[in-house]
Amino acid sequence: MSAPVFDPLELGVLGHAVSMVAEEMGSVLVRGSLSPNIRERRDASSALFDLRGRMVAQAAHIPVHLGAMPESVRAVMARDPRPGDLFLLNDPYHGGSHLPDLTMVLPIVDEGAIVGYAAVRAHHADVGGMSPGSMPQGATELWQEGLVVPPVRLARNGEIDTEVMSLVLANVRTPVERHGDLAAQRAACEAGAEGWRALRHREGVVRLDAGCDALLDYTERRARARLVPLEGATGVGEDALEGDGVSDRPVPVRVRATVRYSKLHLDFTGSSPVVAGNVNCPAAVTRAAAVFALRTLLSDDVPTNDGIARAIELVLPEGSAINASAPAAVAAGNVEMSQRITDTIFLAMASAGIPVAAQGQGTMNNITLGGAGWTFYETLGGGQGASGRGPGPSAVHVGMSNTRNTPVETLEVAYPIRIERYALRADSGGGGVHAGGAGVIRSYRALAPCVATLLTERRSRSPQGASGGGAGVAGVNALNGAVLPAKVRRSLAAGDVLTIETPGGGGWGRR
Amino acid sequence: MTPRAAAGVDVGGTFTDLVAVRDDGSVAARKVSSTPDDQSRGVENALAALGAEPASIDRLVHGTTIVTNALLERRGARVVLCATDGFTDLLELRRQERASLYDLAAHHPAPLVQRRDTVPVAERMTHHGVLRPLDAEGIAAAVDAVRASGASSVAVSLLHSYAHPQHEQALAAAMRAALPDAEIVASHDVLPEIREYERTSTTVAEAYVRPLVARYLGRLGSALTAAGYPAPGVVTSGGGVLPAAAAARHGAALALSGPAGGVTGAALAARAAGFDRALTIDIGGTSADCGLVLDGEPLVETGGSVAGVPIALPRVLVETVSAGGGSIAWVDDGAALRVGPRSGGARPGPVAFGRGGTQPTVTDAHLTLGTIHAARFDAGVSLDIAAARAAVTALAARLDATPERTAEAIIATADAEMARALRRVSVERGIDPRHCVLVAFGGGGPLHACSLAGRLGMSRVLVPPFAGVLSALGLAVAAERHEALASVMQRTDALDAAALGARLRDLAGRVAEPEPGCRRQFWARTRYVGQGHELEVPLADGDDGHSLAGRFAGMHRARTGFTLDTGVEVVSLRHAATGRPRAAALGRRGPGTWDAARCHDDGSAFEAAVAGPASIALPDATLFVAPGWTARALATGGWLVEHDA
Repeated sequence: MSAPVFDPLELGVLGHAVSMVAEEMGSVLVRGSLSPNIRERRDASSALFDLRGRMVAQAAHIPVHLGAMPESVRAVMARDPRPGDLFLLNDPYHGGSHLPDLTMVLPIVDEGAIVGYAAVRAHHADVGGMSPGSMPQGATELWQEGLVVPPVRLARNGEIDTEVMSLVLANVRTPVERHGDLAAQRAACEAGAEGWRALRHREGVVRLDAGCDALLDYTERRARARLVPLEGATGVGEDALEGDGVSDRPVPVRVRATVRYSKLHLDFTGSSPVVAGNVNCPAAVTRAAAVFALRTLLSDDVPTNDGIARAIELVLPEGSAINASAPAAVAAGNVEMSQRITDTIFLAMASAGIPVAAQGQGTMNNITLGGAGWTFYETLGGGQGASGRGPGPSAVHVGMSNTRNTPVETLEVAYPIRIERYALRADSGGGGVHAGGAGVIRSYRALAPCVATLLTERRSRSPQGASGGGAGVAGVNALNGAVLPAKVRRSLAAGDVLTIETPGGGGWGRR
Repeated sequence: MTPRAAAGVDVGGTFTDLVAVRDDGSVAARKVSSTPDDQSRGVENALAALGAEPASIDRLVHGTTIVTNALLERRGARVVLCATDGFTDLLELRRQERASLYDLAAHHPAPLVQRRDTVPVAERMTHHGVLRPLDAEGIAAAVDAVRASGASSVAVSLLHSYAHPQHEQALAAAMRAALPDAEIVASHDVLPEIREYERTSTTVAEAYVRPLVARYLGRLGSALTAAGYPAPGVVTSGGGVLPAAAAARHGAALALSGPAGGVTGAALAARAAGFDRALTIDIGGTSADCGLVLDGEPLVETGGSVAGVPIALPRVLVETVSAGGGSIAWVDDGAALRVGPRSGGARPGPVAFGRGGTQPTVTDAHLTLGTIHAARFDAGVSLDIAAARAAVTALAARLDATPERTAEAIIATADAEMARALRRVSVERGIDPRHCVLVAFGGGGPLHACSLAGRLGMSRVLVPPFAGVLSALGLAVAAERHEALASVMQRTDALDAAALGARLRDLAGRVAEPEPGCRRQFWARTRYVGQGHELEVPLADGDDGHSLAGRFAGMHRARTGFTLDTGVEVVSLRHAATGRPRAAALGRRGPGTWDAARCHDDGSAFEAAVAGPASIALPDATLFVAPGWTARALATGGWLVEHDA
């Protein structure tokens, strides 16, 4: 019997080594990027893949990118990548999520051959389309949402193709910032390639390959070990978005969650078909929500790699809003449908008797303000749901987002906006043995004419409590005191005040 | 006549270390138990253990964990926060990111101010100036609310005060007049820099710890001076020393006083050995502290948080990981060997300590392999090697491996975590570890040094003299330093040499000289317009916005690999006036001194080279020379371990 090529005692060592590379990519990106959206809000993720396209490590700053990039690498692998190539993509139907998430994939080259892939996804503040910020309300076709980039070679032979770059930059409202952010993304991919090469040289190719097998198996083992005591649990969750931006008709999401053979089966049969508006999402986003939901059951130290997804089986009906196909519009699906999918999975888990938190605010409260020569985009935190372990945290991003806020002072210096009030929204969390977290109140006074685009949710359907806890208070959007719809685009005159009150989280336990 | 001496006293969780550097270059070290209920007794005990004539000590520098502990244990003063009307919840709102990405029940540590202890102030500044004037009525209402609260510590933090402090000044003056016994802290004094959350949090931290720090330093100062010692200085998070009286008014700046001394000591050791670029690691029982030395100085950065409280003041870069000699090895539910984050700490500590520990630790793994010189371990601890081995063997059985292989894997796993932190510290700043020497100290540093260096592609390791008490040595020699910060918020193309010079002179005028002829340094905290994070660009005489922008671009390229064709803006200016560091000649002095164990009585072994594998017993640690490495004793003290080419 020959000695094993990889000693399982070294799992911890290899785990640190590959995570270190992904982490380094993230730090190069955040350090170098120009836009507050990546740099301050950290709306970005980086991941490392082996030759077979298996994700061996990911540094995810926000969950909506969790486990969604393997599709990007698969899309690139299907295009005959060659050494020296660098790919750019955002097409939701070819490896992307929604158009602002420009994803770069670098085939890693060692001694003349491709030996793996480094991928970096970042939410860019504008990729063209019908409204500044490329998060339009009311879009019905993908093309309205911005420039669609299928996997294309942004570089060949290690040289940036300036013609492709100029084509991209000619289609966005803020080309200088985009150029800077893309430069940082490329530097991050290069850092990943360097790290992967060093690892191969140190560990040896055969040993590293066997080590990656072991690492993915290990993650899968830990995920499934968590599911073993839940074997046989089954339950249904049903929830809905409050309209698709075109009409106010609810967009239902339905899921049956079952734990079988220590895997989490999620069957979305019965969910809404593709809708006209842009709350649809491609399968990659639904998968990310599923990975996130399972991830919340695991301890923080389980490595983030493809092994988690192996513990999940999905049934995603073709042509549904949670498995959309071209040319359905998707900008809000990534930010809002992803939240509702997560919420619904949690409801199904709760009905299956799996202890999970009550629903959180369930929206990212996307706010875009844009005028002559400027665009400002931010999302707002709200209440997290309470759980058996205690009250829900207040004023945080829940579910699939975790971006930071924009400092009031920085915002006022940079844009013709004044913040009139930024406060906790008292008593907005649902009651119960443990109360839900509170939402926030933020008022923006326009100091110059501009257009406001709001993509928000949970303005009529409140976040639900769990185990008998009360619902959180629904959010409110208002212009000069008059209530606005959840998804709306309005022109603002100088002096107008837009006030956003974000939802509170659901409570836990009957009092 | 006794030579005069400078003493450094470093208070840790378990031990209080003292190092005295005498003018003749000789060094004495003492270790006594810490006195957590009142750290000052440990300081006095350490001085008593030194037994020097108090008058012979002409300088006494203290590294204290009193602020860190007050923040961790939330033991500071009750603080009332006065904030702009409409913005009193800033501390609750934080930056809206959650405490844990996946643990949905996790909360951030509670803010230092209770929500009911916030007072809205009827005023509003913008970056252009007054929008809503603060009138007498508004001031009176705020003063009344503070008085009614009964709190004795007040933080005043109003929007845009970094540029327009007038409202804060007026309110603080009124508070001081009306409430003479209260401590009033205004944000433009503590941190005149844009970004309201970090500024407010730092200001509140100052108001929270100042009364406690003032009491502690007052008590310590009178006890020491009564005994004939000089008034103490205190090392700040930034690695400079402040006289106790000044330190008492900069409590928040002491939050990382302890670890700063270690990197300062490591920088001294590196300079003495001829290195000006180093990665440093201090491995203790429960954790490891990683730092970076550039141009012979500890790298100082701004920002970060302590115990969940953002404190945006300069601090010596230290990244701490939960890996140390006491870290416990275990098997998780995925059948993988894990090490830490749980630790046996000092008590019960490793199994071999015989204090009740039953789970094998990193130290037990070393004892199983025989890499630690058992005989020379901590004084007062007798080691039960058989028990250590039995614990490792039990774990090995669960992993279906030999005890030796398991012990190696325990050490390798801890090494991998520490190496990851060292790499983060360096690579995130654009520094390639391969161009650095690794300075390894603390009880465990010299044991892990070769392996860590190997993992990072580094070829040289420096094990300084006094590896176990290097922080105290760093304190003894640290220079006095006074600092100031001023907001700028201007683009470099609007800054000519005259305007910049005037701002620097103004800043210099606000900083007391520690001594005549001190070194004055200026930095511009600079970024591309639109970025949210600044680089600190050193300024030279005669600089204007153009030369500054050029230097910034060079630094940006070095750190990120690219530059941008966009405007550059200066967020703020920072100034430090630094006195001379205390000279310390760290030479070897033969038998009877710290490294006596390493040489024959005639001192002949000093030049000896020790080829790995070998363990060298140091007075308070073991140096493990790995296979393929060779250790050489240095004339300046300590050992240089080099990878055999």
